[in-house]
Amino acid sequence: MQYLNARPLYEGLDREPASARVRLDLALPSEVARRIAEDEADVALMPVAAAATIGDLRIARGMAIGARGRVRSVVLVADRPLEQIEELALDLSSRTSVILARLVMRARRGGKEPRLIGCSSADAIASVGGVRGALVIGDPALALEGRFPHVVDLGEAWMQETGLPFVFAAWCGRPGALSPQDESLLLEAKTHGLARRDAIAADHAERIGRPVESIRSYLHDAIQYELGDDEHRGLERFFDEASRAGLLPKTRVRFFDDDAPHSAPAARRESPSLDKLLARASEGERLSAAEGERLLADAGLFDLGLASDAVRRRKHPHDVVTYIVDRNVNYTNVCTTSCRFCAFYRPVGHAEGYVLTRDQLRAKLQPVVDAGGVQILLQGGLNPDLPIGWYEDLFRWIKSEFKLGLHALSPEEILHIARQESLTVAKVLERLHEAGLDSVPGGGAEILVDRVRRKIAKAKCTSDEWLGVMRVAHQMGLRSSATMMYGTVDTARDRMNHLVKLRDLQDETSGFTAFFCWDFQFEKGTTLTPGDNGTMLYLRQQAVARLMLDNIDHVGASWVTQGPEIGQVALRFGADDFGSVMFEENVVSSAGTTFGMNADSMETRIRAAGFKAVRRNVRYDWLNEPA
Amino acid sequence: MSVLDSIRDKVSAKERLTFDDGVALFRHPDLLAVGALANEVRERMHGDRTYFNRNMRIEVTNVCVASCLFCSFAKLEEHSPGAHTMSLAEAWSELEQRMDDPPTEVHIVNGLHPGLPFSYYEELLTGFKRIKPDVHMKCFTAVEIHFFARHYGMTYEEVLVKLRAAGLDSLPGGGAEIFHPEVRTRISHDKATADEYLEVHRVAHRLGIRTNSTMLYGHIETFEHRVDHMLRLRDLQDETHGMQAFIPLAFHPDGNGMKNLPAPTAVDDLRTLAVSRLLLDNVPHIKAYWVSLTPDVAQIGLRFGADDIDGTIVHETIYHAAGSSSPQGLTYDALVRLIREAGRVPVERDTLYNVVREHAPNALPEAAMKVKDRKAARHLAVVSGS
Repeated sequence: MQYLNARPLYEGLDREPASARVRLDLALPSEVARRIAEDEADVALMPVAAAATIGDLRIARGMAIGARGRVRSVVLVADRPLEQIEELALDLSSRTSVILARLVMRARRGGKEPRLIGCSSADAIASVGGVRGALVIGDPALALEGRFPHVVDLGEAWMQETGLPFVFAAWCGRPGALSPQDESLLLEAKTHGLARRDAIAADHAERIGRPVESIRSYLHDAIQYELGDDEHRGLERFFDEASRAGLLPKTRVRFFDDDAPHSAPAARRESPSLDKLLARASEGERLSAAEGERLLADAGLFDLGLASDAVRRRKHPHDVVTYIVDRNVNYTNVCTTSCRFCAFYRPVGHAEGYVLTRDQLRAKLQPVVDAGGVQILLQGGLNPDLPIGWYEDLFRWIKSEFKLGLHALSPEEILHIARQESLTVAKVLERLHEAGLDSVPGGGAEILVDRVRRKIAKAKCTSDEWLGVMRVAHQMGLRSSATMMYGTVDTARDRMNHLVKLRDLQDETSGFTAFFCWDFQFEKGTTLTPGDNGTMLYLRQQAVARLMLDNIDHVGASWVTQGPEIGQVALRFGADDFGSVMFEENVVSSAGTTFGMNADSMETRIRAAGFKAVRRNVRYDWLNEPA
Repeated sequence: MSVLDSIRDKVSAKERLTFDDGVALFRHPDLLAVGALANEVRERMHGDRTYFNRNMRIEVTNVCVASCLFCSFAKLEEHSPGAHTMSLAEAWSELEQRMDDPPTEVHIVNGLHPGLPFSYYEELLTGFKRIKPDVHMKCFTAVEIHFFARHYGMTYEEVLVKLRAAGLDSLPGGGAEIFHPEVRTRISHDKATADEYLEVHRVAHRLGIRTNSTMLYGHIETFEHRVDHMLRLRDLQDETHGMQAFIPLAFHPDGNGMKNLPAPTAVDDLRTLAVSRLLLDNVPHIKAYWVSLTPDVAQIGLRFGADDIDGTIVHETIYHAAGSSSPQGLTYDALVRLIREAGRVPVERDTLYNVVREHAPNALPEAAMKVKDRKAARHLAVVSGS
């Protein structure tokens, strides 16, 4: 369905001469962007917001999906005038349209936006009424024509605000991905496709059961397939306004042929200087994945440190570093995933496999209560012998016996329980929440790029599954942390894509409290060779993460993996949290990294680094006065 | 103009910093700003070059008449539990065992043993040179030289001339601790005073014997004491130019007379390296001694003013007696990697900073993180949605 307005651009690609050269795939818009971000495709017809987020892409001239005024398929609908809307329901993953909607609302309502309610497109439409409106995109928007008394067509609104056309999508790729010859193949396909619009309309109308004339005029009159000077200016204007609103990285439109040696100097814009990029980063502007990659590769250690420290200070102006008194309890080491970086797990049936008994748990939890601890971090392997009832009983027992927060079960474990019990993730989380689950730890994220995950943890969930569990948890009001384990087979680009995926989800849910990263801890017993890690890279990586993750409040220094010394230095590289006091932690220590720190020692280090120390809970509330 | 701005101006103009500047650098809240300034000076002097060597450490005796509060190594008498003095053959065998991959330097530091004849030390040196004639003998701190002079009834010059004839090449920098009497009388009252330490170095320099110097920080001293210490060394260096490297040594509290004190933290370690680079404008090298700092902190130190990371070491016992968590030795390749990961160029040196081998400026880790150029594919992979 969502392919209708793209068909005139791509349908000609299966004919000679293009078909001999082009291998065409169709996919959902988010997947299209992912394939460019992760270098799995050369060129994609991509929503422009996704292109800005990846950064440093080039656009093919002369072709786009846009509108000069009314577009019909991207509309705000409501029962009352836009000015009176207080809530807007929408599918937050359609980023280009969401950003357009937000800009239009800000422009028309004196800078004020309604509250955004993320949900599925169908739920959004169903929930319209009273002070709630909805953003509707694609076929449903055409189908709804005439149904709501108040409709704002966003193509038309953009034209009224700016006097310019709007560009929704264009052919994009990395610099050099599209030669002039290839570009002309795309243009020929477009010529062919535009001539076939009536046939496409007839086919589509039959498929969705709508009057053919409505579809025909949509393809002929509403959607504009040109990308000329006006569209160029419209796109520049959109990028400009979106970046000033903090919704997109600062982006300039650059075409594939801008890189050609013969092109005019004005067109061949040099990339901005590293100093300017650093200045923007320390101002807290949103960065693209490409900009993050550049900072990680080229910026000086001190520049990264100072920029991330500036961001940290703006977000947390009290010069306070928090820490938590909790205990990491690994309830079982039996696991079916056999990750290559893990020295902790034992396969099912192994003599060293264990599941902690209540007595063993009591012996671990009572000292936490006695030491003034506030929670336990409960994680384990994917043990096929433990049904969901076991977890529910355990959570209820912990909650009734100890006054401790339950930060438990990473997405991988939740998915495992869902699969094992044939329940949805939402149902599993609902039951566990009911039994006492307070928040979800962000472990197991590793690198959220499937090419990397397949190499280091074949049996683990995909990136989308991991993010999907977090999305559901956040929508239920559970908070979670986010993590990154790098330094195996990942590249700098993979790491930046990972950070952008976390940032995108955070835009939707605001459910992540904090981010922690660490490098792969090598030890005998793991079958993976570490990449080029090292302490220097850790500090750089953490600083860049602080700069990229503009919508996540807290960044923690991982002293458990880096050692107390480097953990302390990392507080000056963008971190505002020092993690937890160590009672025990089995997974990292079985990989040979063993450090210990008690509360006194943590506070001493926090103060020596020039901060005040405060204890926190899992929601990062302060539990005492800074000292 | 802030204090740091005025210091920054002086640094750009290559002007000398004052006592007050030094204290201000220690007290300035922004660690990274101080580090960046030291890095600027370090890169002006050495670019990315970072020195290390193949060395081995030997402590032939831990019997010591001095009773320094910070020491976990010394045993007062020959028959105290844990006291040990190597026979000459034992000491020499340490080098003999390593002749398949020999060090360029043997670094010997000892307790002040009251019962050995002076000839023991002369024979010790001669024996090492017999095993490997071109090995550099960096032996005996100024405190030991002072002790020899008193104990065997000689002048500093007589001691040094005799030892040089036996094979001594240069002096290590240990025993400096903190020069200021307010501290020195409390932590090491019964060994060479500050003036005596400095005089040994002065005489050595006059004889053409190079030395290093150190400072033991992070115990009971103040920032003023640290700055005073560095400026005394700077004055001596103006006079003699015989000092090669300055090595700040972090106090480790386990098992000694100050075990109730916390050890200095990494932030203090890095700042001390940075301030020493900025104050000691006439000392060529600042060393991030990895045994004292841990390899990780030493690596970061290479961006905070240090241009040297010491050597392979092999078997260190003094810091390890005080609870150091560093490994006892690092392999040659591990040191090269440590330096490269900091984005620096590893340069193997001998003790006198002659280049033995300069490694390729392999800008790890950054270069390795860049994505390789895409391969030209036969097909153009195109994906559409929208």
